[in-house]
Amino acid sequence: MALMPIKGRVAWIFTEENFDVDQIVGVKNIKITDIGELSKLAMQSYDPDFACAVKAGDVVVGAGNFGYGHPHYPPLRALRHLGVSAVVAESFSPGFWRGEISMGTPLIACPGITTFVHRWDEIEVDWEAGLVRNRSSNATLPFESLSSADRDMLETGGLVPYLKRAIAEHATA
Amino acid sequence: MGYTLAEKVLARVSGRPGVRAGDEVMAKPDFVVVYDFPGYTDVIFRQMKQDFGIEKIAEPERYAIFIDHMVPVATPAEELLHIQTREWCRDNDVALYERRGIGHQVSAELGYATPGGFVVHFDGHISQLGAFGTLAIGLRRNILEAFVRERVSLKVPETTRINLTGKLRPGVMARDVFHHIVRVLGPSACRFQVMEVGGPALEGISIEGRQVICGLAMFTGAITAVINPDELTLAYSMPRARAAIEPVYSDADATYAAVHTIDLTDLEPIIVIPPNPANTRNLTDHTGLEVQSGYLGSCASGRLEDLRIAAQILKGRQVASGFSLHVIPTSQEIMAQAAAEGLITTLVQAGAFTSSPSCDYCFGRIATMSAGQRAVSTGTLNVAGRMGSPDSEIYLCNAAVVAASAIEGRIADPRKYL
Repeated sequence: MALMPIKGRVAWIFTEENFDVDQIVGVKNIKITDIGELSKLAMQSYDPDFACAVKAGDVVVGAGNFGYGHPHYPPLRALRHLGVSAVVAESFSPGFWRGEISMGTPLIACPGITTFVHRWDEIEVDWEAGLVRNRSSNATLPFESLSSADRDMLETGGLVPYLKRAIAEHATA
Repeated sequence: MGYTLAEKVLARVSGRPGVRAGDEVMAKPDFVVVYDFPGYTDVIFRQMKQDFGIEKIAEPERYAIFIDHMVPVATPAEELLHIQTREWCRDNDVALYERRGIGHQVSAELGYATPGGFVVHFDGHISQLGAFGTLAIGLRRNILEAFVRERVSLKVPETTRINLTGKLRPGVMARDVFHHIVRVLGPSACRFQVMEVGGPALEGISIEGRQVICGLAMFTGAITAVINPDELTLAYSMPRARAAIEPVYSDADATYAAVHTIDLTDLEPIIVIPPNPANTRNLTDHTGLEVQSGYLGSCASGRLEDLRIAAQILKGRQVASGFSLHVIPTSQEIMAQAAAEGLITTLVQAGAFTSSPSCDYCFGRIATMSAGQRAVSTGTLNVAGRMGSPDSEIYLCNAAVVAASAIEGRIADPRKYL
């Protein structure tokens, strides 16, 4: 199996260090479970037109220690629903990392990313070379390699399929 | 080159002679402890059967489940969750500890915090078992792995060592020490690492205080925290230990990602202002601010030294009119001892509301705040909406500050009452 190719525009850059992802939908909306309703609320305080502007495959970019605090799952659920395919950040908070990788959301820890791209640049993640390519400026920036377990989880699409495959492989080994 | 405590624990539980930070291992937890909570245990129990065909868990003695959230229940749906948990534990021969207190504390009392042991949970505050030299990691939803197979995949973490020196002044508590660490080192200082706390100042910090410091480790970015066992913690943990595990210690020549020394001599009580657990400030910069409620409890307080100092401050005094003070001992064992010492009587006579242990005050399920209200709290977190309305505010502080603020109805310095 191979990792899903990631190729899209930078739909937003969160410049705040230690960013609390609950802000994406707003803390008061964090308990909403209806995905349609959540998606409408996502990014409202950043760009009210975000839902219209974002396209399937786009990515969002974050600063250092992205996901700090007490991250909940709805904000990324909403972004995925709108078409966001990955988060590329300077670095991630471990709780957020674990939670979202287990949901099958590609997270790419890429020091320097916030100054490497501008909003709406076209970028591409080259999993094999370990590089983020900015197709708008034609420059590349290396990202941190995934552990084999994290890679497997992204390849299979998340925690449950990952565990099913791992258990099946163990049984036949 | 020597090994860290974390490397030694993970070498043992992954069956290797030695592992180093960065190695990827399959590690067998000595204990898997969780509390029942919607979206976690109910989903795990269902997935075990539906997705993995597991009818009965293997090695049930490695598992423990706590009912500490939604205690007491307020809706039939909450009770149904507990009913399903009770049934699952019965059917699987898994130990269930219901209403004994907050699981992170009770698991230490019951001997799951074995020095040198490896424990997993979904909740990151399990890191507080590190006070006893246990490597305890919160895996979030990945905890499912620990329910469907013997081992969990883990990258051996690096360790940052923090040496604490000096002696705490009166009115300054372990809670202040932790938030001071965040202030000095920043909220990402130990990202993906183990925060190892040591140094001569620990001699003056109780077991309870060490649990507090380790339990909040996530706010430095750490995945857990440890303190090398000493006479004090061994005397507590070894007689209770549920597994025969040899304590381990970081070697003097272990490799650390960083080593910091933080002197506590001049540390003043702190306050962590909303809406972020990294907003450490000196208490004295915020005294006088009006507050309507106070919470003394959670897995990061509510222990005997917290109840004792609160009782000392409130003895013969009264909680301000219109102020809601909730004092919730962290476990039944602590509550019984506090009652025996007369602390509960003192607190109640001063106007505090107390109840049996529950996690529910910490996340606003009960004692819920309205928009515009403000609390002083020893709970774990101060993000918006944590204790009720997203338009209420939480100021985190030590137990003495909560007690002093309750008297004045304003954020108050406890030192004048000591």
